[in-house]
Amino acid sequence: MNSPSSPNTNYLLLAAFLLFSQSVLTVSRNLDLKLLRQLNHVGKDDSPTYIWPLPLQYTSGNQTLTVNPNLALFTSGNGGGSRIVSQAFERYKRIIFEHASLKLPTAGVDYDLSKLTILVHSDDEELQLGVDESYNLLVAASNAHSVIGEITIEANSVYGAVHGLETLSQLCAFDYGTKTVKLYNAPWYIQDKPRFEYRGLLLDTSRHYLPIEIIKQVIESMSFAKLNVLHWHIIDEESFPLEVPSFPNLWKGAYTKWERYTIDDASEIVEMHFKLFHIKSAEAFSLSSYEYECSNSVITKIQLLQKIGINVMAEVDVPGHAESWGTGYPDLWPSSSCREPLDVSKNFTFDLISGILSDMKKIFPFGLFHLGGDEVNTGQYLLDFLPVVLITVTTSICRLQDHSMSAKDAYKYFVLRAQEIAISLNWTPVNWEETFNSFPTSLNPKTVVHNWLGAGVCPKAVAKGFRCIYSNQGFWYLDHLDVPWESVYYTEPLEDITDASQQKLVLGGEVCMWGETADASDVQQTIWPRAAAAAERLWSAPESGSSRNSTTVLQRLEYFRCLLTRRGVPAAPVGYAFSITNASEHYLTDVKFEGAYVEEEKPTYKIVTLQKLVSPYGNVFQFFCLKTDTASVLLEASASIQALQDQIEDMLHTLSGKQTTMLTGEKRSNLSKQGIVLSTISRS
Amino acid sequence: MLKNNTDCLLSCCRMGRRGLEGMFLWYLVCIFVISANAIDIKHLNIWPMPKSVSYGYGNLHLSNEFELRTDGSKFADASSILKDAFKRSIDIVRSTHVIEFNASKVDPSLVLKGIHIVVSSPSDELQHGTDESYKLHVPAQGNPLYAHIEAKTVYGALHGLETFSQVCHYNISSRGIQVHQVPWTIADQPRFSYRGLLIDTSRHYLPVPVIKKVIDSMTYAKLNVLHWHIVDTQSFPLELPSYPKLWNGAYSIPERYSFADAEEIVRQVNRHFYAKRRGINVLAEIDVPGHAESWGVGYPALWPSKDCKQPLDVSNEFTFKLIDGILADFSKIFKYKFVHLGGDEVNTSCWETTPHVKKWLHKNHMNGSKAYEYFVLRAQKIALSHGYDIINWEETFNNFGKKLNPKTVVHNWLGSSVAQNVVKAGLRCIVSNQDSWYLDHLDALWQGFYLNEPLTNITDPKQQALVLGGEVCAWAEHIDASDIEQTIWPRAAAAAERLWTPYDKLAKDPEKVKSRLSYFRCLLNQRGVAAAPLEGLGREAPVEPASCYLQ
Repeated sequence: MNSPSSPNTNYLLLAAFLLFSQSVLTVSRNLDLKLLRQLNHVGKDDSPTYIWPLPLQYTSGNQTLTVNPNLALFTSGNGGGSRIVSQAFERYKRIIFEHASLKLPTAGVDYDLSKLTILVHSDDEELQLGVDESYNLLVAASNAHSVIGEITIEANSVYGAVHGLETLSQLCAFDYGTKTVKLYNAPWYIQDKPRFEYRGLLLDTSRHYLPIEIIKQVIESMSFAKLNVLHWHIIDEESFPLEVPSFPNLWKGAYTKWERYTIDDASEIVEMHFKLFHIKSAEAFSLSSYEYECSNSVITKIQLLQKIGINVMAEVDVPGHAESWGTGYPDLWPSSSCREPLDVSKNFTFDLISGILSDMKKIFPFGLFHLGGDEVNTGQYLLDFLPVVLITVTTSICRLQDHSMSAKDAYKYFVLRAQEIAISLNWTPVNWEETFNSFPTSLNPKTVVHNWLGAGVCPKAVAKGFRCIYSNQGFWYLDHLDVPWESVYYTEPLEDITDASQQKLVLGGEVCMWGETADASDVQQTIWPRAAAAAERLWSAPESGSSRNSTTVLQRLEYFRCLLTRRGVPAAPVGYAFSITNASEHYLTDVKFEGAYVEEEKPTYKIVTLQKLVSPYGNVFQFFCLKTDTASVLLEASASIQALQDQIEDMLHTLSGKQTTMLTGEKRSNLSKQGIVLSTISRS
Repeated sequence: MLKNNTDCLLSCCRMGRRGLEGMFLWYLVCIFVISANAIDIKHLNIWPMPKSVSYGYGNLHLSNEFELRTDGSKFADASSILKDAFKRSIDIVRSTHVIEFNASKVDPSLVLKGIHIVVSSPSDELQHGTDESYKLHVPAQGNPLYAHIEAKTVYGALHGLETFSQVCHYNISSRGIQVHQVPWTIADQPRFSYRGLLIDTSRHYLPVPVIKKVIDSMTYAKLNVLHWHIVDTQSFPLELPSYPKLWNGAYSIPERYSFADAEEIVRQVNRHFYAKRRGINVLAEIDVPGHAESWGVGYPALWPSKDCKQPLDVSNEFTFKLIDGILADFSKIFKYKFVHLGGDEVNTSCWETTPHVKKWLHKNHMNGSKAYEYFVLRAQKIALSHGYDIINWEETFNNFGKKLNPKTVVHNWLGSSVAQNVVKAGLRCIVSNQDSWYLDHLDALWQGFYLNEPLTNITDPKQQALVLGGEVCAWAEHIDASDIEQTIWPRAAAAAERLWTPYDKLAKDPEKVKSRLSYFRCLLNQRGVAAAPLEGLGREAPVEPASCYLQ
């Protein structure tokens, strides 16, 4: 910017515009109506392929085939007889033949496709990270030689076969004209496997309890987008909802006696006892034998287990996020006024962690276990990498008083000791990135580093030989409502990692549904459809043809979002990050309600308002600890105000003719990143 | 409750002169009574509140083999309405946690073996005015021990099962379901026979599973009419066999309902009917002549002109022939006594400016408003000829109330004083005043939903009887499959209690029912329904980490 030349010219500080997030969400949702009307006839050569996530390789044709509602299943191979396969088949049959007309008698109709063959090579049903999820799907054309076409799914594991069924379900659509289900663009040949083995979604049941029914709905919806790891952030400082048999007082830290998970509940979530939404609400078809098992009041549990290929990784976030533990065992608190991190000085703390992990080992068979380790406020430690401002707003800081080791050492000691416990139970420890950032050389080499703060962590972690999971909060934190789907879609877990052997160390990524403002009422529409954008990033090869250019991706994602809603998943519209924000806008504009909140003196409303003010984009301050918690928001707010004051001061200097410190380019761009525009105008 | 409270205070006042000691004693007694009552309320978590309830302090365990007995019932249950409802209720009670109950560890005389339901009417007909009363008794002792439901119709029994499901709780120590506070004796019936919820599938298409889920959730709050506003200006998603091009007006090909879909939502197809099996009537609406632009996509002759597409062309006989065809199709699947013909927000300027319509008006000595009246009355006659009673939005009454067919039910929406005028004129009325009962008004809070009284200023019992009930409306300009549940719940539940519970038992101060409603909202969440927090505006996200029961 040029310096003002004349001392007689007056300048006026005109305005600081606060640009709210809506302005960046201008993606048009006006789908071409014609295009929509053609959706049932997809696959004319230039139109996109409506499979989400996009398979690795595929070819299609231009035949349209009818599918018999009484589609018969034939299985072969060592794993073909698996119950997992037959149950998945029944489940997808319900989804594919959902429409009422199909339940009417259909005598005398000839269908092109009446037979599905599933070939599964391995009878190993163990679900683990790295299980072979590949499959081939073949839909043969009907021709002069064979009147009856055939569908074949071939997979090495049952879980690959389940993915194949999901893809098959997306090829089919109900034809409203003929009242039959049709499979478009046959013949199909699809060869598919995931790009990353870890494709996660975090659910947080501590900030808000999520009823089991809701968790099951989420798990089922994950399978539609081929996500495969549910990262269950079970407990945190707010509440401790899980039963731990070895330490039965722990779940006294639950919000209420109704908001808890028994150990059997947890086990059921892991095993996905499938008495699910579709079965319950559809009541389609006559009751199969399976449903009779369900309805039978004498429940034989084994018959109900239905794996759908979702791993569950449990998290015990120590030592920082653990205040609720002390409700049942106050000894865990350093003192009654200073309740976290967990008391590092007591052996009891580690006995208890050991007990929790032993109990959990019985129900969580997944090889990875998350030990948290993030945002540990030791009083000293934070000073090392956060501005002083935080200290001024955090009034009660726990300090280590009676120990010879420094706070930072104590933090390290705690994390490493917890890692040992997990490793002794044959778990691979996963830790949030602060552990790696603070003491990379001390971490157990088996550690999987879970990125969240910002970009650049995975490259560092894999360079040191650690494995890494990518969850950069600027893009993959679903509770950041202002991150639009494009940001979620176009972020790249392998960014800045070029070495092939290092790339292999990136296990994958995870979208995080932190629960501060998400409960049973809004969790699903906050997850979907943005989680699907990440799901394609994690499943599909990065470079694939026309179906991956920006216009067609939007069309395909909108189509997938409608597919989710048709399956009963309340996925939000694609163009908006979050439909419910429409409502929350009101309290910024509606004077009456603003008043009402002030009367109630709810600081949280002010915090939310501040947050909107300072971080309209959510991904601006990647290098700050940007969570939705109060401290972070206040931190940002004070930083913004400070910056603003600096600018005004500069302006005043200019006005008074002292052309001393002009706005440096850096400062100015900082401001505009925050949506604040300072402008000067001349006044004659 | 309030009454006791007031009595106490009055007594305190009267006691005033007897000296400090006596007054203090009375004061203590008052506090005792008040707090005892407060505790009772706290533990009575049934929504909506039944007509009469008494209960004790016992606990029973629900047997793992909990069974349905129907001996002595005159209802044959040929299509399994009752059996399926029983299964659903028990499933939903058990779905909150894994049941690992070991009956051998508890006193067998405390195990509830099942529920015995006696229905006195053999009919499974569901209609306006179908008896919905029931009596539920859960004894504290007995061998064998059974809960009992008596009802006139199977639909009353369904309400009884819903109430029963709400007194069942998962118990952490027994790892099973317990019925608290036995013995229960509940006698219950609704205050109004019409307790509606409007959904709008024209502004946004709602997939069939979503509609079914809404119907399920309605039964939890004992609502009984799903008012299906199927078509409107924006889209025409329903297939009608008589006029197969009408659903060309749908947003897209997948966003449609086949005739069989609609039939399944409403009633029996083989064994798979939905609303009726749950005691929910479906009121179908075609909103003529004003909200009907999408009709003309398939049949452009219905538009007065290409530039001026609604209201439907009043001068064209085809318009009425088509309405006749639609209602003929309707009568095959929508068996509810009423059909809704809309009639709101008609702007006749299109008629008055389009040459051929203008000519027709002139020829028939009509102006715009006369033609509007002509249209509505003619549509009414067509509906009557198909055996329907008609519901029309209030503008028809406001403009030409005296000419409406006496069978008309006037559906209020604009203001709050319409009902009294309607019943004074001898017509029936449904109350949906938008300031309190429009769910899409996100700033209408649950307290307002609770306090909105359909009989305001109507004192004559004969006139009161003409108010059939009320309806909350989820207009869908800003509602689709992603947010419909949290927009409806929990506010619709507040209205549901107003419509179900006797006036005397309704709280005058909504804060008195807040914790019970909050409990019901969490119950909805447990059942997989995305009901929003009570705090804040409609469908507001929770503002901070907290227990469900405190939001």
